[in-house]
Amino acid sequence: MSRVSVEAAPIAELTRSEPVPAVRARAIRAAYQLAGRPPLAVLDGIDLTVASGELVALLGPSGCGKSTLLRILAGVQLPSDGTVEIDGRPPAEARRAKALGLMLQEHALLPWRTALDNARLGLEVNRSSGSSATLAREALSGVGLTDFADYYPHQLSGGMRQRVALARTLALRPRLLLLDEPFAALDELTREELGWELTRLRTSIEATAVMVTHSVAEAVALADRVVVLSARPARVLAVVPVELPRPRAVDVEGTAEFARHVGEIKRLLRGGVETSQPRGSSDLLRERQRVPS
Amino acid sequence: MSSKSPRHMAGRLVPLLVPAILLVVAEVWLRLSHVPVYLAPPPSTVAARLFGDPTFFLGHGVTTLLGALAGLALGGGVAVPLAAAMAQAPILERTILPLAILVKVTPVVALAPLFVIWFGFGWAPIVLIVTLFTFFPVLVGGVAGLRSVDAAALAFLGSVAATPAEVFWKLRVPSALPHLFAALRVALPLALIGAVVAEWLGSDRGLGHVVGAAHARLDLPTLAAAVVVLAALGALLTALLAWAERRALFWQRSDEA
Repeated sequence: MSRVSVEAAPIAELTRSEPVPAVRARAIRAAYQLAGRPPLAVLDGIDLTVASGELVALLGPSGCGKSTLLRILAGVQLPSDGTVEIDGRPPAEARRAKALGLMLQEHALLPWRTALDNARLGLEVNRSSGSSATLAREALSGVGLTDFADYYPHQLSGGMRQRVALARTLALRPRLLLLDEPFAALDELTREELGWELTRLRTSIEATAVMVTHSVAEAVALADRVVVLSARPARVLAVVPVELPRPRAVDVEGTAEFARHVGEIKRLLRGGVETSQPRGSSDLLRERQRVPS
Repeated sequence: MSSKSPRHMAGRLVPLLVPAILLVVAEVWLRLSHVPVYLAPPPSTVAARLFGDPTFFLGHGVTTLLGALAGLALGGGVAVPLAAAMAQAPILERTILPLAILVKVTPVVALAPLFVIWFGFGWAPIVLIVTLFTFFPVLVGGVAGLRSVDAAALAFLGSVAATPAEVFWKLRVPSALPHLFAALRVALPLALIGAVVAEWLGSDRGLGHVVGAAHARLDLPTLAAAVVVLAALGALLTALLAWAERRALFWQRSDEA
């Protein structure tokens, strides 16, 4: 389970060294059927394996199906083809065990509940535990909102609301965090700040994480590996291991290594956008999976 | 302190000034032109009639109020659970909602005489007509409300395997409240209209009956006084509803766009 050992390993080696990965998705396909139109393929055979303790970023052009993939991993949407296993079991089972922590771009707080009651929402569901208030309070203080437990969402700033949403997710102590651009609606400084806070809190509860983002810098700064997806229908263009030492801090963004990773991923993304359809181009890109150093 | 400043007082009084001026103009004009009282009674005559026999108007007003509220309670009491059932079962919605919308756009006043024939004289036709008036707006509002849930909140509840009952009580019902209050704002005046129409057609009590009987005798001061009481009732109920809405939907104010 040591994260450092798996951090730089490509998928094939991971699946061999880790008997039960946190996430194993095989040949995931998804399509949307809109009335009077041909089916719109969004995911075109995605394979994804995430080792326990890893933070994997999903990066791709907007509208490529990243969010769909995340919803499929969470089991709130079914793939048209392919299988998903979370810790070796189907997502529905993982959901019932409260092993999943889903967090979306919209804070999705219930406006009629205080910050504390929002933070305990997930704990309340399908289990009436007396300790939910304590756990929720802990989670709130974890995100620095101890003094705002009795505030309603409309009384909080955008960043604070997203912190409450983060507390609501972390209060579940999930094994796997599924994050869909969780801070994208915030200003850049708040977004960075919350990103670092997220990594700190994730480490403290030893959770694995899959994070959808459209920010290359965010992906490189926070992730152990970056999965680069093509334009719709999405395929995996490349998996880029982030070879930056941990623990990382804000100043990592000033390093040459950081810039090299960002440059490499941007090149991959540009290639993916320009030649999104032909298969040949993506094979070419897959060859560059090992980042030259 | 500031609430007692002359400026503030003026701000409160100015809106009352316009109706006051209109009343004075009507009074002076009707008195000077000698319009007969059975065509248009001066405001002072109406006021004299109203305050000369306050128990008469109060008694009939309470009757109308009770009829309207009983019908609204019955209509809403059936509409809200039905809306919940429809929100859970799409087949039910496809069957009932078109009918509900048809009735909603029909001037159901036309059915009122029929109800009097069917249910006789007294409380039954009044309550049932008000029920018919108020049932469909509340039903349509309730269905719309129970459907208007935040997709991201729904996804979060799904990710922790919430049961349909948990989603219903924790998310759908509170989300429906703004729509339900909007529906009640429509239904409340309809309830008063329904009660007045029903009393007019088939009752010996209530302000609707008072208006009908006064009309038959060309007793315009009584008719106008009854209308004044009805207007006061409508304003009172609307103010109470607005107060309840502010209390219940405190979280709706100044939320993000």
